[in-house]
Amino acid sequence: MIRSLYLLYGAVVMAVLSVAQYQGWSLARMNEVKNVPRSIRDNPGAYRSIYSSYHHYTGGK
Amino acid sequence: MSTGPTPPTKPQVKALNCPGCGAALTVRSFGNAVTIVCDSCHSILDAKDPNLQILQRFKVATDEVRPLIPLGTRGKIRGTDYAVIGFQRRTIHVDGLPYSWHEYVLFNPYKGFRYLTEYNGHWNDVSILKALPEVHSYGITPTVRYLGETYRHFQTAQAGTSFVLGEFPWQVRVGESAVVADYVSPPRVLSSEQTGNEVTWSMGEYIAGNDIWKTFRLPGSPPDAVGVYENQPSPMGAQTKAIWVAFAGFLLLLVVMMIGFDIIATNKQVFTGSYRYDSNQRGEASFVTDEFDLPGHTSNVEVKTTTDVNNRWIYLNYALINEDTGKAWDFGREVSYYHGYDSDGSWTEGGQNDSVAVPSVPAGRYYLRVEPEGDPGYGVTYYTVTVKRDVPQYSLYGLALLALLIPAVLLTWRTLSFEHLRWAESDHPPIKWGNDE
Amino acid sequence: MSQPSGTCPNCGATVVFRWSSSVQTVCEYCKSILVRTDVDLQKVGQVADLPPDSSPVQIGTEGVYNHKAFVVIGRIIYDYEQGSWNEWHIVFNDGTDGWLSDAQDEYAVSFAAPGRKVPDAAQCEVGQDCAWDNQRYTVTTITSAHYRGVQGELPFQYWDKENVTFVDLRTQTGKFATIDYSDEKPALYLGEMVEFDSLGLKNLRAFEGWS
Repeated sequence: MIRSLYLLYGAVVMAVLSVAQYQGWSLARMNEVKNVPRSIRDNPGAYRSIYSSYHHYTGGK
Repeated sequence: MSTGPTPPTKPQVKALNCPGCGAALTVRSFGNAVTIVCDSCHSILDAKDPNLQILQRFKVATDEVRPLIPLGTRGKIRGTDYAVIGFQRRTIHVDGLPYSWHEYVLFNPYKGFRYLTEYNGHWNDVSILKALPEVHSYGITPTVRYLGETYRHFQTAQAGTSFVLGEFPWQVRVGESAVVADYVSPPRVLSSEQTGNEVTWSMGEYIAGNDIWKTFRLPGSPPDAVGVYENQPSPMGAQTKAIWVAFAGFLLLLVVMMIGFDIIATNKQVFTGSYRYDSNQRGEASFVTDEFDLPGHTSNVEVKTTTDVNNRWIYLNYALINEDTGKAWDFGREVSYYHGYDSDGSWTEGGQNDSVAVPSVPAGRYYLRVEPEGDPGYGVTYYTVTVKRDVPQYSLYGLALLALLIPAVLLTWRTLSFEHLRWAESDHPPIKWGNDE
Repeated sequence: MSQPSGTCPNCGATVVFRWSSSVQTVCEYCKSILVRTDVDLQKVGQVADLPPDSSPVQIGTEGVYNHKAFVVIGRIIYDYEQGSWNEWHIVFNDGTDGWLSDAQDEYAVSFAAPGRKVPDAAQCEVGQDCAWDNQRYTVTTITSAHYRGVQGELPFQYWDKENVTFVDLRTQTGKFATIDYSDEKPALYLGEMVEFDSLGLKNLRAFEGWS
């Protein structure tokens, strides 16, 4: 009984893994933004990234 | 000359009649007393009545231990009817403490005798062996082989009869004792019983209390089984091996999948550009790259940044923007590299390169918006941005491996705990895991 | 013996006591409470009752061993300290004879095996090994017994009532041997343990209440 459950579970894991690999899932943290206007190509400075004003110093010992 | 076997003596039977009116009587027992009351005239039989005395003395003699299966009960085991004809309690002493179990003798005139043993709610169906098992005394734990199965020594003890009722194939007496050695291969157990003049081997098979209750149609429910018994089958035991075999299968599949996806991954470089960033320069640092195509089905996009930072950092705000749909993936990457020399030797921290995979990006026409940042005063950093379509993501395999591993490990842990409990009661207890008192 | 039956003193019906030392029962017909007065109450709880004379075999029982048909023609009952057992004398179609041992429904068939070296009674110990016909036998039981009674046809006529030593041996393959030290020259019997079912016994003794 337990074995059948595990086989089912394993099959699900493998299936999900296959989809993930095919569709290119990744663990990276992303922010999805919609409706970026075409004007950005001419004026890149107008795009306000949520990551701007990054002044976090993380270097050195 | 022919003298047949002596026929069994016929029992002497007396009836209890009411001395007052001769009517039917009811037997009542309260505690140790047995009283007989007449239903019609309500007179109570004289306590000195010799027949009543018999019932009284009998009750006192048998009250000490009550067989769970009343003597005389019949039940069908392995397709044969048996009657319970005898019962004994046997006691061993371990570290000065007495432990007792119960044995029941079952009888069928054509099939002979069987036994049932019960300890703390654990039952065994026992029969005498006709052939001798092979004893191997070498090694830390002696073993015995019988019918292709190996049994490990569990316990040897001097077992004495402390109470007996009914009939036995030999005339058991209280005080009689034998050296009993048990060898287990769950759910079976081989026991050898040795007195001075005789050694007998028997095999027991673990049986659930509920099955006993069903077989003998006993009222109520069986007593709960306490702890783990020597030959109690592990609820997970056989399954655990099967799970690991399944895991091995999945592992193989994982490797095949990894190779497979590696082969079919496009891994196509769709863009590369080299840039110069001067942190001292004022003005808008952000820029956009040329457009590039992301072909094929929805898959990931690797954005790789290679820099020449040396004891400094650069931060890049990236946005991968779909020119047609306006959808963008916004992320930032810090690239820092430091190195030096101290009392422990030379050290390094970080790296000059970074790569990240943007997940599930549909095909289309894209460009990158890049906004670099750095500490003012650091000066110039040269860096290259490379974009690749559909790269293999190895970290996902690691996650899948973990997911597959965890149930197998948990199950093995439970099985090992069970076995630990089992062997804790034996002559060969495992090393304690926790603290002793 | 296992379920002793008697007669109800009030109505004469047959009554059965549930087990060998049960002292109380109720008559099914007249509902009288019945008490057994011949149970030794000193022994209850302390000593088991004597094993029942429960052999299903009787003189005239037929069976098959090793593809040869046999019939039971004689019986010896032995008593020992803790009970008794039967040795049934059996004769095969081809005239050879042997013994069917019946000890509390554990059965063995053996044949006289003269001309082999047999250890002295004093030398035998439980666990000791002997070898005959390329088989290793281990001593499992040493019993001191005497004849209780005989029935039917037996290959010898005289016996005495004194205790005699019997040594039983077994192998890992289910073979069986017994040494009878009643005569000056100890007699060896070689054979094997058998399952009741494998003998295909017919014309067995009938037991009340059992099919």
